[in-house]
Amino acid sequence: MENSDELKIKEYLLGNEEVFKELVYKYTPSIFNFSARFVGVDYANDIVQDVFIKVWKNIKKFDYNKASFKTWIFTIARNTVTDYLRKKKMINFSALDKEEESFADNIEDDVVLPDEALIKLEDKEFLNKLLDEIPTNYKEVLVLYYQEDMTFKEIGELLGKPLNTVKSHHHRALTILREMLK
Amino acid sequence: MFEPYFLHQKGKLFVYINVEQNLQKLFKQAAYHPESRLSGDVWTAIEVKKAQITKRKKFGYLSLSVLSLSGSVFSIKSLIGELIRLGFFDYFSLAFSDSGVIATYWKEYTLSLADSLPVASLALSFFLLFVLFISIRRASYQFKNKLSIA
Repeated sequence: MENSDELKIKEYLLGNEEVFKELVYKYTPSIFNFSARFVGVDYANDIVQDVFIKVWKNIKKFDYNKASFKTWIFTIARNTVTDYLRKKKMINFSALDKEEESFADNIEDDVVLPDEALIKLEDKEFLNKLLDEIPTNYKEVLVLYYQEDMTFKEIGELLGKPLNTVKSHHHRALTILREMLK
Repeated sequence: MFEPYFLHQKGKLFVYINVEQNLQKLFKQAAYHPESRLSGDVWTAIEVKKAQITKRKKFGYLSLSVLSLSGSVFSIKSLIGELIRLGFFDYFSLAFSDSGVIATYWKEYTLSLADSLPVASLALSFFLLFVLFISIRRASYQFKNKLSIA
C-alpha cells in the first residue's frame, strides 16, 4: 500500500523537486533526534545532512514494496550513525547482540516500570542522561518505539533483527531503566 | 512479558496507568529538537551537491563528445581510405553501370562487395559516432539542468 511519502517520491521522480523538499522538512526533526541520541547534538547536524544526501542520491533505489519510506530513511540514518561511531571507534550497534540472544530466553514476567519511576522520568534532563547510559542497541529500540512511534515489526525490519529480539531489546532496555532508577 | 498497564492508588481510588502511553509522552518531551534552519541548510546542501554533480557530468560528457568527435573524424578518414584500397567503390559503381551482369552474378557480386568492406574500421566508426551521439544528448540534458539524480 502506498502512503503519502511514497506518492511524493513518485512525483519527485517525475520531476517535481518541491516534494523532496517537503520530505526533507518532514523528516529532519526525527532524524536529528535519532542521530543526536547516538552521536550527540553537536554532530547530529552533519549526520542529518549526510543522511539526506544519501537519500537523494539513492532515491531511485527505494522500493516501497520492501519497506516504508520511514523505515528506509531510518535505516540510512542508522547506517550513517554506525559509520560515524566506527570512525570515532565508539561502541557499535551490534556489540551486544549475542548477549541479547541469551537474554531473550530469560525474560521475567513482571511490571517493568512502576509509577514512581515514571514520575522521576518526567524530568527531561534526567531521562536524557539515563538514555545516554543505556547500551546503544537497546537505546535505539526505545527511541524508535517511543519517540518515532514505530512498531516492533518496523523496528525489526530497520535493524534486520527478528521480532522477538526487538521485543527482548525493548524489555531489557526498560529493565535497565528500572535498575538505574532504583 | 512487558505489562502495559498497572494499578495505581490515587487516594481512595485505584486507577490503571498505561505505561506505554506515559513513556511515549515522556520520551517525546525529552526529544532533541534541531535548530529551525537545519531543514533549509540540508536542502541547500543537496542543491550544492546537485550543482557539483551536474557540473562534473557536463564536463565529462563534453570531454567525451570532443574526444569521440575527433576519433570519429580520424576513423571515417581511415574508413574511406580502406574502402578505396579494397575497391569497394569500384564494385559499388558497377551496380549502376552494368546492372545486367549484376542480375546474373548477384551472389558473386554480393560476396565481392562484402569482402571489400573494412569491417573493423566500419565498426569503430559506428561505435565512435554512437558515443558522440549519446554524449551530446547527455550533455545537452545536463545543460537544460533537469532532474539530475546521481
